[in-house]
Amino acid sequence: MKTVFFTGKGGVGKSTLSAAAAWQIAQKGYRVLAVSFDPAHNLGDIFETKLTHRKKRFKDGLYLQEVDLEKAASEYVKASMNLMKEVYGYLQSFNMDSYFSILKYSPGIDEYAALTALEKILAKEGTNFDYIIFDTPPTGLTLHIFALPGVTLAWLDRLIKLRKEILAKRFTIHNIQGKYAPEGVLLSYKETDDNVIKKLYELRARYSRVQEFLQGKDNQVVLVFNPDVLSLKESQRLLFGLEDLKLPFSIGFNNKVTGMSAETVKNIENELRKKFPSLKIQRILYSDNNLTAGYKLEEDIISPLLKGV
Amino acid sequence: MLTKLWTYLKDFISGMDYVHREKAAGITQWEEKELENIFILLLTGSFSGIPAPPAFVAAELLPLLSREIKIFNQRAENSFDTLAEMTGLLDID
Amino acid sequence: MTTIIVVLGIVVYFVLYKTYGKKLETEVVKADNSIETPAARMYDGVDYVPAKAPVLFGHHFASIAGAAPIIGPVLAMAWGWVPALLWVWFGNIFIGAVHDYLALMASVRYDGKSIQFVASDLITKRTGVLFYWLVFFLLILVIAAFGAVLGGMFVGTPEIPSAYIMKIIAALILGVLMYRVKMNFTLATVIGIILLALAIWLGSILPITASKNTWYVIMFFYIIIASAIPVNVLLQPRDYLNSWLLYFGLIIGAIAALFSFHGFTAPAFTSFAPIVSGGKATPYWPAIVLIIACGSLSGFHSLVGSGTTSKQLEKESDGLAIGYGAMLTEGFLSTLVVISVAGFGLNLMVDKGMDITTANWATTYTGAMMKSYPKAAMFTASYAQMVASTWLNFIPTKIVQIIAGMWVASFAMTTLDTTNRLGRYTFSEIMLPLKSNHEGAYNFLTNRWIASIIPALIGIYLAWSGNFTILWPSFGTANQLIASIALLTGSAWVAKRQKSTSKFALIPAYLLWITVTAAILWFSIVVLPGSIKANPVTGITVLVIEVIMLIMNFVFIIDFIKHKDEAVA
Repeated sequence: MKTVFFTGKGGVGKSTLSAAAAWQIAQKGYRVLAVSFDPAHNLGDIFETKLTHRKKRFKDGLYLQEVDLEKAASEYVKASMNLMKEVYGYLQSFNMDSYFSILKYSPGIDEYAALTALEKILAKEGTNFDYIIFDTPPTGLTLHIFALPGVTLAWLDRLIKLRKEILAKRFTIHNIQGKYAPEGVLLSYKETDDNVIKKLYELRARYSRVQEFLQGKDNQVVLVFNPDVLSLKESQRLLFGLEDLKLPFSIGFNNKVTGMSAETVKNIENELRKKFPSLKIQRILYSDNNLTAGYKLEEDIISPLLKGV
Repeated sequence: MLTKLWTYLKDFISGMDYVHREKAAGITQWEEKELENIFILLLTGSFSGIPAPPAFVAAELLPLLSREIKIFNQRAENSFDTLAEMTGLLDID
Repeated sequence: MTTIIVVLGIVVYFVLYKTYGKKLETEVVKADNSIETPAARMYDGVDYVPAKAPVLFGHHFASIAGAAPIIGPVLAMAWGWVPALLWVWFGNIFIGAVHDYLALMASVRYDGKSIQFVASDLITKRTGVLFYWLVFFLLILVIAAFGAVLGGMFVGTPEIPSAYIMKIIAALILGVLMYRVKMNFTLATVIGIILLALAIWLGSILPITASKNTWYVIMFFYIIIASAIPVNVLLQPRDYLNSWLLYFGLIIGAIAALFSFHGFTAPAFTSFAPIVSGGKATPYWPAIVLIIACGSLSGFHSLVGSGTTSKQLEKESDGLAIGYGAMLTEGFLSTLVVISVAGFGLNLMVDKGMDITTANWATTYTGAMMKSYPKAAMFTASYAQMVASTWLNFIPTKIVQIIAGMWVASFAMTTLDTTNRLGRYTFSEIMLPLKSNHEGAYNFLTNRWIASIIPALIGIYLAWSGNFTILWPSFGTANQLIASIALLTGSAWVAKRQKSTSKFALIPAYLLWITVTAAILWFSIVVLPGSIKANPVTGITVLVIEVIMLIMNFVFIIDFIKHKDEAVA
């Protein structure tokens, strides 16, 4: 299974191009899943079909899915609340209800919901599809989502280190005071007995997997931009971000070139190439044909994708 | 009479044994409790406004940490009253 | 004579424990086993865990025992052994142990909260804050006093610093065995004790000679380093070895005193105001409270008892044995010190060429002692003599002397760096008001290293430049101020919450407050000026501390009188 993420500023034509790419790859006979994380929900509009949270068969070998981030977020909050109530009903630690309902708005929920959905898709659909094409939300959120595994891993590592220290001290205490431990107090002091560290390891493995996949050779992040200064700036931001996160990118689509002066187009492309010399740029004309064609774009945009991946 | 003395002696020695073990690991015990306190603090920091791991990590782990949460709450209550506790622990005189 | 006094001491403590102690328990504290202690009621398997009485006793006793109950009595011998014993016995029974007991029980009835909290609840919040200040000053002065003792000891008996360094190595090894290799505890203990004995023996054959100033510098760095490294490396194993030293020292001392049958060569009573502090005539009242602190009365104990002990009390009736009884036991330790100096001190000083007799004792003792066997050395030497005069004399006297010296040195050295750990904390608490308006200054001052260096620096400087006979009583002033506040708090608790016969607590408490205040005033007015002349920086530092404490003391008593009768909600 290989993945391609279409990224770029809002309105550059990400959704259209990702839809087109999905269509073209499917035409070649591969099994393709097109997923949209964009809250604007353009995917369904482009394919002129109603899409939901669950994948829908468009035709043989091409499936479509719109991830509802808000729904995912509230589901997650509900599940956490129930888990808490189950375990902590007898402890008057937190005032569960009022507390957790505010979680919906806490920073990170959107990212987490997206990451979880991404994880699920990667895990579930790996065997069902040869290519998964992703349409991403606007730049900021996308970078946060991509950064999340790494950030989480950093925290998990710290928590694991702290937990190991706790277990080491417990072992010392057990060794010295073990036979006089107060009744009913069973402190785990071996890693094999400690549910917390086992859970931490499990979480670390999960996020490592996602991180490795995203940084690996089966993944590609593709940039879509327009030949104007705003789009250029945002694209640079995006590419720097991807560089920092060590996510592989090599292709950029210069979309909606029609009508722009050739000089402007070339300048924008050169600016980009200055900082990112390895970027291969393909120009996409923007014509009445494209507008109506939608995903049935005539230009071949997938050869470099299929080759490069 | 002799057996009573013998049991008393045994109790005394086991009591001494306990005191010694307490002495040898008393501070470690205190440290361990504090580490657990810190663990929870780090984990749930986002609930109280300090920078913390993503909240979902906390949500996954908290169900397994009931003892630590108890300690955390107990510590939070007594956190302003630690001077006396430390004087005993640190064996100043 | 030694034998008689030992037995008499045990009898006095025991009888009064059973009578006066019992009276305190039933009429003042009204200990009631049907009331659940916090350990039972708030049991959490973590802090609140009931401990069996003998175990808790051992724990509490080990926490309050140290080097101070040894040094005080040595100085107090200037008045003769009867006044010294009177304070060690009756001051302990009627004031000191009462103080410890009330602090413990008040804390127990307050859900295990500390005496500091109780004071801020029963009197005013300001009183609670006072504790941080007083403890901070106490810590500085303790470093000064013990530093001075150690400086003299290391120079006078060069076998001791060497034995102590070996002991540190032994502690480091023990730490590795117990906490890293996680060896079986009993085995590790045995190895530890063997290493300790080895350290003592090696010390006796490889003395290290250095100047006092060198030792002070070394002590300063030792404090900084030892209080910064993890507790498992040095502090815990070292404290553990210390407790074994304490047992051996106590047991050998008690046996020796019992079987010595030696007469007392020191005078029973010399004068009301012999020369003790700063070369000045020191009146028994009020100064005795400053000279003999732990062993008879020590404010510090109220914090220790209300810190962890109160959270572990299994039932209320255990409180008497632990709070009251442990203090009496420490009094017994001081009794042994008085006995050994009374029995053997005179000859030791004469042998060193001191011109001291029972007749001129009042004016010459302190000087002669400081010249021949300064402070702790007087104890270790006479202790060694006492042991040698019994069937225990198969142990070489030199070794006994080193054991006794190590006993004092170990506890004193421990105090130095643990004091620093606590000092960091109290210092940052004191600086808290700075935080809102002078955040930069606050952050700088409460930086880990700065907060560590300040108390250590002041303490060691005082030790280095100051006169011991002035530093020791100043340590007493801080300690006993805390004691008088704690005892007044205890009696406020008795009056307000217990509504029982409060006179047993209130009268000693007021008397104590008056005594301590008078002592500090006398000390500042009579003794300190001489010290300022001799060494202005040292003298003025101590004077400033005394003045601040006095002001706080008066603020406190006004708060106390205003609030003690308020009805409790």
